[in-house]
Amino acid sequence: MMRDILNLKKNEQTPFYLRLIDLLSFIYTKAGVNYSQMRLILDVKMKMDGRKEAGLGGMETGSRSDKEKNQFFSSLWVYSLVSLFLLVIFAYDNWVFQYTVYFSFLFVMTFSTMLANFSGILLDTKDATLIGTKPVDRRTLGAAKATHVGIYLLAFTLAVGAPVMVFTFVRNGLVAGVLVFFLSLLAALWCLGLALLVYATVLKRFSGERLKNIIAYSQISLSIFMIIGYYAVAQIFQVIDPENLLVEMNLTLAHSVLFPMWFVAPFGLLQEGWSLTYAIYTGLLLVGSGLLFVLYNWSTDKIESNLQKMDSSDENISSRSMLERLSGQLVCFDPLERAYYHFGWQLTKTEREFKTRLYPSIASSLVFPLVMTYNNLTAIEPGMDPGPANFLYLPYFTLLLIPVLAVSIQFSKHYKGSWVFELTPEPARAPFLRAVTKAMLIKILLPLYAALALVVLFFTGIGYLVQMLNGLLVFSLILYIETKRSVKSLPFSKKYSASQANLGCMATVIFLIPVFIVSVIMIVSQLFIPYAQWGILLLLTGLNIRWMKKGFSK
Amino acid sequence: MEPILEIIDLRKQFDGTPVLKGVSFSVKPGEIVGYIGPNGAGKSTTVKIILGMLSKDAGEVRLFGQPLDQSDVAYKARIGYVPENAELYDTLTAKEYLLFIGELYGLEETVIMSKTEKMMEALGIREAMNRRLASFSKGMRQKVLIISSLLHDPDILFWDEPLSGLDANSVQIIKELLWKLKQDGKTIFYSSHVMDTVEKLSDRILILNDGAVAADGTFEELKQEADGTLEQLFNTLTGFDQHAALAEDFLLAMKGEAPHDA
Repeated sequence: MMRDILNLKKNEQTPFYLRLIDLLSFIYTKAGVNYSQMRLILDVKMKMDGRKEAGLGGMETGSRSDKEKNQFFSSLWVYSLVSLFLLVIFAYDNWVFQYTVYFSFLFVMTFSTMLANFSGILLDTKDATLIGTKPVDRRTLGAAKATHVGIYLLAFTLAVGAPVMVFTFVRNGLVAGVLVFFLSLLAALWCLGLALLVYATVLKRFSGERLKNIIAYSQISLSIFMIIGYYAVAQIFQVIDPENLLVEMNLTLAHSVLFPMWFVAPFGLLQEGWSLTYAIYTGLLLVGSGLLFVLYNWSTDKIESNLQKMDSSDENISSRSMLERLSGQLVCFDPLERAYYHFGWQLTKTEREFKTRLYPSIASSLVFPLVMTYNNLTAIEPGMDPGPANFLYLPYFTLLLIPVLAVSIQFSKHYKGSWVFELTPEPARAPFLRAVTKAMLIKILLPLYAALALVVLFFTGIGYLVQMLNGLLVFSLILYIETKRSVKSLPFSKKYSASQANLGCMATVIFLIPVFIVSVIMIVSQLFIPYAQWGILLLLTGLNIRWMKKGFSK
Repeated sequence: MEPILEIIDLRKQFDGTPVLKGVSFSVKPGEIVGYIGPNGAGKSTTVKIILGMLSKDAGEVRLFGQPLDQSDVAYKARIGYVPENAELYDTLTAKEYLLFIGELYGLEETVIMSKTEKMMEALGIREAMNRRLASFSKGMRQKVLIISSLLHDPDILFWDEPLSGLDANSVQIIKELLWKLKQDGKTIFYSSHVMDTVEKLSDRILILNDGAVAADGTFEELKQEADGTLEQLFNTLTGFDQHAALAEDFLLAMKGEAPHDA
């Protein structure tokens, strides 16, 4: 009977991705990977991703009761839906312009997904104990991890790129369609390769507590570079005739560091014929891809051998900071809640996985406002005063961080430790959630918001202080609502798995609409209705006190 | 007889803190060696280096008569390993997990399944075969780990705390199993905190203290150095003689009173 089940699995239900990888097995073998072991590890990892982690003390038997479904794949359609807006590019007749927009978007999306959601798999140390002690070499384990992430990234890229790919076939012909398809897949592999190279370098150079910090910093700086690059790419083009949608391109060799442009050059060759710039860029793409592959191949086993450094923990004298103590006194109204507050604060301080998930989002929520400030300052004619409306909306960008933040607090590497909360003599859920939400508000959102608000106040004057304060109160309220909506379990009580990688991202996309509405209402009402800001201040203070005292209780 | 495992002046530090300060010992084939020492003495670090999970800073490790070479992992097929903190892939069932591990060792599926079933039967967890590991108790997880370390019939076993979490009956089975494995010619290198067991079970005892070998020999030999049980010897060698006073201090702390001066 048992044999039957297993045979069935092997012959008829071989997943699509495994069949695909079987076709590529010769590449793995050539690169010195034990293919059958690699395939086995990959198969088991994907199977585990499809299963939900059993809850606390879950004594449910067997895997038959709940359906095995990989949440990641079944939620991809949202990305296709979102990137439908990219189809606007086909209004322009310039292929280079079309695909510059497309590839810039693709790179930003894929790379930030890679950093935020899949770094955890690449940097996982559990495999070293369970698989590394078996006769599996590092190259094979490394290849399994990279392929595991690669499958997700390729699927993600296909979902994001689907609308543009389909339209390319229809509008720009078969050759362009095939080209955009393969280059999109290549772009996904680039994201994976770049991330792996950065991690390999960092793991090699640093160790101990510093290593963990530097991993987090490298993620932030990579995200920032990506978005600055996105902005720089946009500078290449100028709309010279808005009516005819004519764009002018000033592509020079100085732009050759912007590697997404390398992906665009082949389309230039295709539409406009031979040009030295395009040829050089296409050449760079080929050389770059080759180099990336060689470098990856060379560093892959080094990542595994240096990964153990991540687990070495030295004594880390951690104490409650001034901010933590003061804010705890201020926003928590009873001792139990204060205890949870400090717990949440300290846990998120040391957990690398939490930072890995959140920091890229923090970076992107900061970069957009900064780029726009710069835009504002450069776009304005000399001598003219920039209007306050150009700045007031900037802090609202941080609102986009809230969905990811709210989702993140459910997860922890040490989710099993949550049995402690079953033992507390008082009902734990409401004060716990309140406390952790407050901790996140003060620890993560407040500093970000304060920094942006200061920039805004610097340009608009102190008269807008109340508006900034109101903004913060709106934040706090939205964080509460979003946390209440999305967190169904106790904080830090669930295990984070790859299939849940895009939980917060989906919410972020949907979130754009309410964020936009709220920001507009806030700014417009306060600018044009006299004394509105004071009324809003009163109302929001009331609502905030209410959630801070009674929030989350049923 | 040539030693199956030889360690010479092994050194390792983490972030500037030395954990192994020149550990040397050798193990002959067919020996049962008990590797004991206080928490943090470096027991697990030694084993992790042998298994290639950590790199050494200095010294030499020779296994099966060869210097350890990380570029060729084939030697790991002759090792059975039970890690200290019963980590498993929790979302898999026991059957799936063991099948996975067995296949990593290159065994045939049919072979693995028939071995697994019989081994689980013998350890009394066969009916849990199709349950997720997440629902397993600590003892059951330990049994799964023990089975997974023996599926491929290895030559040398590294077992970190093999008896932890097991009930009294299971402990007896495992002890008996260790004897039988020894008779079968296996070398067994295990660590434990249960002195009683170590005293009775081991051909040789290695005491590690503060990153160096504090004692090495049969129990009879070690008794020459200090009288009484292994526990007393252990205390002497690790310089620990204050258990009564410390327990007292602990109790006072619980009551919220000031401790006696130390």
